[in-house]
Amino acid sequence: MLLDLQKISRQFGSVQALREVTLQLETGTIGLVGNNGAGKSTLLKILLGLLPPSSGTGTILGFDIRQTGLQLRGRIGYMPEAAATVPLLKGVEYVALSGDLYGMPFRDARRRAHEVLNYCGLGELRYRRLDEYSAGNLQRLKLAAALVHDPELLLLDEPTNGLDPAGRMSMLRLLEDLIAETGKSLILCTHLLKDVERLCKQVVVLHQGTIAKSGPIDEMTRAAENRFEVHWRDASSEFLPRFRSSGGTVLHQEVPSDATALVALPETWQAKQLFELAAQCGTVITRLREDDEDLERLFMRLTAKETKGTQELTA
Amino acid sequence: MRAPVRGVISIARVALIQVLRRKTYWILLGMGLAQFIMFWSVIYAVTQLQLPAPVQQNILREFGFSAQMDEQRDNGYMVFMERQSVVVLILLAFSGSLLVGSDFRQRTLPFYLSRRIGKRHYIAGKLLAVSSLILFLTVLPALALFVEYGAFTSGWSYWRESWRIPIAVLAYGGVLCLVNSVWLVSLSAYLQRAAPIAITWSSLLIMPGRLGDYLWKASDNEYWRLLDPWRDMRLIGQLFFGKFRKDFDRGLAWWALTLIAALTIVAFIALVRRVRAVDVVE
Repeated sequence: MLLDLQKISRQFGSVQALREVTLQLETGTIGLVGNNGAGKSTLLKILLGLLPPSSGTGTILGFDIRQTGLQLRGRIGYMPEAAATVPLLKGVEYVALSGDLYGMPFRDARRRAHEVLNYCGLGELRYRRLDEYSAGNLQRLKLAAALVHDPELLLLDEPTNGLDPAGRMSMLRLLEDLIAETGKSLILCTHLLKDVERLCKQVVVLHQGTIAKSGPIDEMTRAAENRFEVHWRDASSEFLPRFRSSGGTVLHQEVPSDATALVALPETWQAKQLFELAAQCGTVITRLREDDEDLERLFMRLTAKETKGTQELTA
Repeated sequence: MRAPVRGVISIARVALIQVLRRKTYWILLGMGLAQFIMFWSVIYAVTQLQLPAPVQQNILREFGFSAQMDEQRDNGYMVFMERQSVVVLILLAFSGSLLVGSDFRQRTLPFYLSRRIGKRHYIAGKLLAVSSLILFLTVLPALALFVEYGAFTSGWSYWRESWRIPIAVLAYGGVLCLVNSVWLVSLSAYLQRAAPIAITWSSLLIMPGRLGDYLWKASDNEYWRLLDPWRDMRLIGQLFFGKFRKDFDRGLAWWALTLIAALTIVAFIALVRRVRAVDVVE
């Protein structure tokens, strides 16, 4: 078990950042997504042992989140979103410093710094000063600094933020290789849901301090197989109530009077039965489309009220 | 895995590397070294060269140097440390931004604090770095001068009679390290950029002194001179060296100690609050 959180809450004054979050995650690659203010940062701080929860209990990598902050951070590699450079240091010194601060003996930290810099493709640049690094290389350097002590869990905060498309693809490839070759667990915190889909097997969607959804991404998309986006006209007032009474679910409808809805058919149904029901109700289905809901749409649906107009999530 | 407290040394080591990589700082370090060589030469001249007594006295008077604890003049080692403090003042004025300000400005704190260290280790590391700079420029050369003087005098009498000097040097050096490092790190954590830090640092250490002098002369009240932080630190140093220019200064020294301790505690609390306010995850 990678982490096991039981009813974790965190309050800042009158603001409830997390509300009774219960979450169990197995080792693997996990995407942590949520709107601004959803509680991601607070959860990350708790995961890093930087902030005790107001209530609730939990373990990460077997460590109690309330009592073992320093030990816990020794087992986690954290890559911050911020630039986080140390002026006048060379790449290898920066990564070795990271190793030192993680508690490695000085010589080991230095040796590992060379290894991880080579692994991250920065072997040629290791003796350059940090102010000479491009944005892409700086992200790689921060990844190397997070990897130096060979952590069990990598916690990456917006690893592709601020990168151009080529830099982003290069970073994603590096992370894919890392996951494939080392099998490390990874928690990816990002607004770029395409990155989560590409790198992660599981996702946790945070919304207003609670877990809106969590689980394997595959299962979530598999569940979409029996879902349809339906458009109709001449709707009688019976259509949707009868659909519901037949075991169907209206997953999403912007406004109740809309002639469009996202529906989940009863398990035994096929599209044909939906047309038959519509015909019985005097409703004409003008368009029926299988719901190819990807993570982005799932996220938008789960956080619909708050994400209207939040364009960055669809970037 | 090493104890997190070893991270303090790593932070201090890296901070010193940063300072030594700035070429302009070498000029200041060179100034400090020049002063050391000058004092070293004076000690060599008065102990090794067969100079006429009046010439020797002139040299010693010129430098205000006395190697003894109990003479009327200021103790030479303390004079040396005081003069070095000017170099330290300038060096610290320009290194605050590099050592501490940039951590806040470039958001490097999350890098440090997400590792296996706490905020107290970060603060201790930075204080140790600044203290080391002060130590290298004041305490270590002062001790080297003491050893030189002792080595150049025949017999063991100097060592026996002056055993308090190295203790006083260490104690005065400790005050300089502690006070200056806490003040500088705290100021740099808030102001962050080089120019504001340099201006404020210099102003804080020079302007109140000038004001204190003016008020002292205008009111003939010696206590106004406590406004000068450098003088306060010197008075505290004189407590350790055991020799005061005036008897009144002895009483004043305890006030100076109280004042400097209070200001340092306030600066330290402000520093802790500033570091605690940093969000590791943004």
